[in-house]
Amino acid sequence: MSRMRNLPTLVGAVLLGLCVCAPCFVAAQQTRADAEKDPVLNAMLQELDRSMSQLQLKGFAKPFFIQYRIEDVEGYQTKAEFGASEGLVHNRERVARVTVRVGDYKIDNTGAGGDGAVALESLDDDPIALRSALWMATDQAYKNALAAYAQKQAALKQVQTPPQADDFSHEKPVVMLETPPKLSIDAADWVSRMAAISGAYRKDSAAKDAALQYSRSEFDARAITEWLATSEGTIVRKGAAEYRELIAVGTQAPDGMSLDRSYTSTGTSLKDLDAPDAFNKHAQNLIASLVDLRKAPLVEDEYHGPLLLSADADADTMNALLSDSVTATRPALGTQARTNGAFASSYQTRVMPDFVDVVDDPGLKDYGGKGLVGAFDIDEEGVPAQAVNLISEGRLVNYLIGRQPVRDFPQSNGHGRAGLTGEPHPEIGVLKITARNGLSDTDLNAKLIALAKDDGQKSAYYAETLGGANSPRLLYRVNADGTRVLVRGAALDDIDQRALRSSIVAAGKDLFVANYYGDVPTTVLAPALLLDDVTVRRANRKNQKLPFYPPPE
Amino acid sequence: MLIPDSANPVTREIFRGQKRIPAGKCLPVLAILPVLLLCLPAAGAQSAPSPLLEAMTSELHRAFTSLGKQPGQTDADKQTPPYFISYSVSDSSFAVIRAEFGALANSVSSRMRFADVQVRVGSPKLDNTHGNHRASAVQAVQLPLGDDREALTRSLWLATNAEYGKALDNYLRVETEEQVRAKEEDTSPDFSKEPSQVHIESAAPPVEIDRTAWEQRVRALSKIFREYPDVYQNIVMLTVQNQTDYFVSSEGSQVVTPHLSARVVVLAVTRADDGMDLFREQTFEAEDVAGLPSQATMEAAVRELGKSLEKLRKAPVTQPFDGPALLSGRAAAVFFHEVLGHRLEGQRQRGDQEGQTFTKDVGKEVLPSFLSVEDDPTRTRFDKTWLSGSYQYDDEGQKAQRVDLVSNGVLKTFLMSRLPIASFSDSNGHGRAETGHVPTGRQGNLIVTSTKTEPESDLRKELIAEAKQEGKPYGLYFEDISSGFAVTTRSSPQAFQVIPLVVWRVYVDGRPDELVRGVSIVGTPLAALKKIVATGDKSEVFNGECGAESGTIPVSAVAPAMLLSELETQRQAQGTARPPILTIPGAPAATASGKEAAQ
Repeated sequence: MSRMRNLPTLVGAVLLGLCVCAPCFVAAQQTRADAEKDPVLNAMLQELDRSMSQLQLKGFAKPFFIQYRIEDVEGYQTKAEFGASEGLVHNRERVARVTVRVGDYKIDNTGAGGDGAVALESLDDDPIALRSALWMATDQAYKNALAAYAQKQAALKQVQTPPQADDFSHEKPVVMLETPPKLSIDAADWVSRMAAISGAYRKDSAAKDAALQYSRSEFDARAITEWLATSEGTIVRKGAAEYRELIAVGTQAPDGMSLDRSYTSTGTSLKDLDAPDAFNKHAQNLIASLVDLRKAPLVEDEYHGPLLLSADADADTMNALLSDSVTATRPALGTQARTNGAFASSYQTRVMPDFVDVVDDPGLKDYGGKGLVGAFDIDEEGVPAQAVNLISEGRLVNYLIGRQPVRDFPQSNGHGRAGLTGEPHPEIGVLKITARNGLSDTDLNAKLIALAKDDGQKSAYYAETLGGANSPRLLYRVNADGTRVLVRGAALDDIDQRALRSSIVAAGKDLFVANYYGDVPTTVLAPALLLDDVTVRRANRKNQKLPFYPPPE
Repeated sequence: MLIPDSANPVTREIFRGQKRIPAGKCLPVLAILPVLLLCLPAAGAQSAPSPLLEAMTSELHRAFTSLGKQPGQTDADKQTPPYFISYSVSDSSFAVIRAEFGALANSVSSRMRFADVQVRVGSPKLDNTHGNHRASAVQAVQLPLGDDREALTRSLWLATNAEYGKALDNYLRVETEEQVRAKEEDTSPDFSKEPSQVHIESAAPPVEIDRTAWEQRVRALSKIFREYPDVYQNIVMLTVQNQTDYFVSSEGSQVVTPHLSARVVVLAVTRADDGMDLFREQTFEAEDVAGLPSQATMEAAVRELGKSLEKLRKAPVTQPFDGPALLSGRAAAVFFHEVLGHRLEGQRQRGDQEGQTFTKDVGKEVLPSFLSVEDDPTRTRFDKTWLSGSYQYDDEGQKAQRVDLVSNGVLKTFLMSRLPIASFSDSNGHGRAETGHVPTGRQGNLIVTSTKTEPESDLRKELIAEAKQEGKPYGLYFEDISSGFAVTTRSSPQAFQVIPLVVWRVYVDGRPDELVRGVSIVGTPLAALKKIVATGDKSEVFNGECGAESGTIPVSAVAPAMLLSELETQRQAQGTARPPILTIPGAPAATASGKEAAQ
């Protein structure tokens, strides 16, 4: 079976002429002895050894695998509204997640619920306290695992079709000790910067025309140090940091329609964030756009035809359509399915046009000088991250996978990721969508107009930004002469897997960097996309009453 | 419902980003990650007049004079103006230090401001808060810190606008419902008429503690449990909170009062071999950290907890029992809070769903004549013990009052907010709520006094005598009670249940007392309260938090020990999980019982 392991990846690599590169960490070979110098790892290893050798309930199996993960999270958050701060959050905590597996690699307790336990950990590097929290969680996780294993054995007897793959992949143990990043924040400065930006409207004469109702800002920074130890000998210390600032403003149109705009700047270091002037400029643009939106006409009842998604809008669209579809997760017991989701049965078939390639490359740490929050060296299962060609010339050639194999994919490709205290599951890191022969914005726009003309349309549409899937915040009607008219109140339909396969006519050559700050940070790099058959229709959301009385002077 | 302070740890997770959260199956270990905040440069004690109070007052006035009076509206579009608006702002600075397993788990400080906006539409006789709509009559919003008038008034405007819209909607429903339903039994108005209150004090100072020293103290208390390896889990938490409450209303009230508190909570958990989870908790309260007991005193109390839990996990499970019982003062205090206190809350006397156990009993004997019960939030101490449930003004801006609820056994009145009931039309300063909730009549410091007292040693003799007389081999002594709940709705039995933590069998044949576990006290209030036959000569204080419709609020209950001729117990619900298989790290291998369980 192991001979087959990277076949899909290799096929993709050959086609693309790219190398399936090893993760980019270089260090002298590190050992357990190096790890034991770290008081947290030392406590973890001691308790891990004790649990592996002694933890057993009479008459039941011992665990065959235990993994300890401790995360030390330090975070700052400051929010402001209308020009004044609501306060500063600074918190630091450690949490432990314990995974215990009973059974064997072929059939274990997973999939029947309860394969782990979490505990609050000690901030002090006190070995007894650190081990105590692990001990308590291990005891619970082991008992849960025994119960789940019994349930699973029973469930297996209920189905004729056996599982299509093993429960847990064998991987080579890794020892990797990084120096994690530390937060260095001038908190007072960020408090006043956020206060100032949320009050930008106060100096902006456009704000009155916008009848601005809210203006909020937020700055977040967090750094995580993660320690990982498994009974297989994997020992990891790694870290990550992410930073974000955002501004959100909103109003209502005279007919009551809610109009919202927001702008976020996200990165892996403070220098990735916008300089104050640039950020302020964005805030002003948002307010100006509210003025325009209030005056903008409603979108027509329904339109079917070409639409151009900006690279920004396309990044959100690709995130919504691809991110979950390209991961391989265990199918329901008793079925012959390979995986779940939109691409469950699409392996080796065409899912996008043949000029599109998609790769997930967690080793891509920056792009165009900007830090990518989705980058990582090693996943939460201690498997080094690999660049994975997912879609090659429009065909699905691989999936992102962790240590839970599916049919034909017996190994992890280093995408078993997890949020704080979460269970690892396959997740994108840096998803990069590229088009061969990508066009410039000007050419795309010309092509949009030409398409509309061929289609017998008076005009077409251009979506500049989305506020959630299928709901454009800035949508323009593009006339035959190239002029653009901002419209409001639209929803987009028919942008789905089918559209990915058969509606994409052309794509841009420049990629937008969308960093998604979150529990599992991810990045999507995407070009603008021209689709030939999209529905634009009225969203018809409830228009709330306008304010009953004017805001204070 | 009375909850020990520690049973309600903050349980939110931090930094759950906007991305989907993997469905973590079955991770129920503990409450983790309290989201806590760091202090901003604090405003300090404010010199009058407070810009916040001024912004609240002027924005409230503007709302009151603008809403429903906007020009240019057609008749059809005309909105009903509000007849009452209030803004209630809590500005609190706090510090929390938490230790577990003998090490620091969290240490943060914060300052936050929240505003509750209340808008009433209609008339005091019938308004948008009527009946089941009461809970919707408040809008909570986080307010900016500092004195920036524009930011403060804008936030209040947004919240007031939203709340007014809700009030109009609810008022329309109330009017319709009134037309279609049968006449209500209690036709009292929805809002009482009260004099406006003006009382302005200086703001509370920001919390300032020696963080390093307190971290060490909290850590040291938690570390004591290493002497008790069967105590599987412990939490020691110091919470210091200095809060200033601002209240303004369209009736002209302006109230600013500070409220300070410091509290150490110790919670310890073990599990018996049969799977029963057992815990003990101990709290220390004072107005500020300087008033808390010495470290030596707290350490001694923590050791007592540890010892008692190790004994408790080995104690036999007792069977359901119906016979004489002695409640310690602390146990009696919780008993009264649940069994009597909740049923004397004003709003429970009206409404179609309420059991109304005592509604028609004013002027009648509800307790033995030697007992009296008052609720006195104006009292800050009982002997030397600081009382959690004290306050100067309630959450409707009314002055706190000492209320004699039961005098010499006779029911006199109820705990009243501004919601009138048939027998009482006015507030007596007990309208209380957590931020985001509409105030209702709640307890503050419930104090039970007795004229028939005797030394506790005599009560014990009487317990034995009573048991003998009833032909029982033993009576029960309830030393400590954790919490309980009372059901007051009509659709269920009017029952109460309290969960004892430490229960002893006191044998009639002179055998030593035997610690037992696994029972809870159940009963119905009318029957149980009349079974009290004598009380002790010393009172004890229970400080805790009480949760009900208007949220979780700090309360105290004070009572002497009590002998009951009859009390019923039932088997307590219990867990079935085994104790930990391995011993706790750091424990000498032979001492802890965990190892035994594995064999």
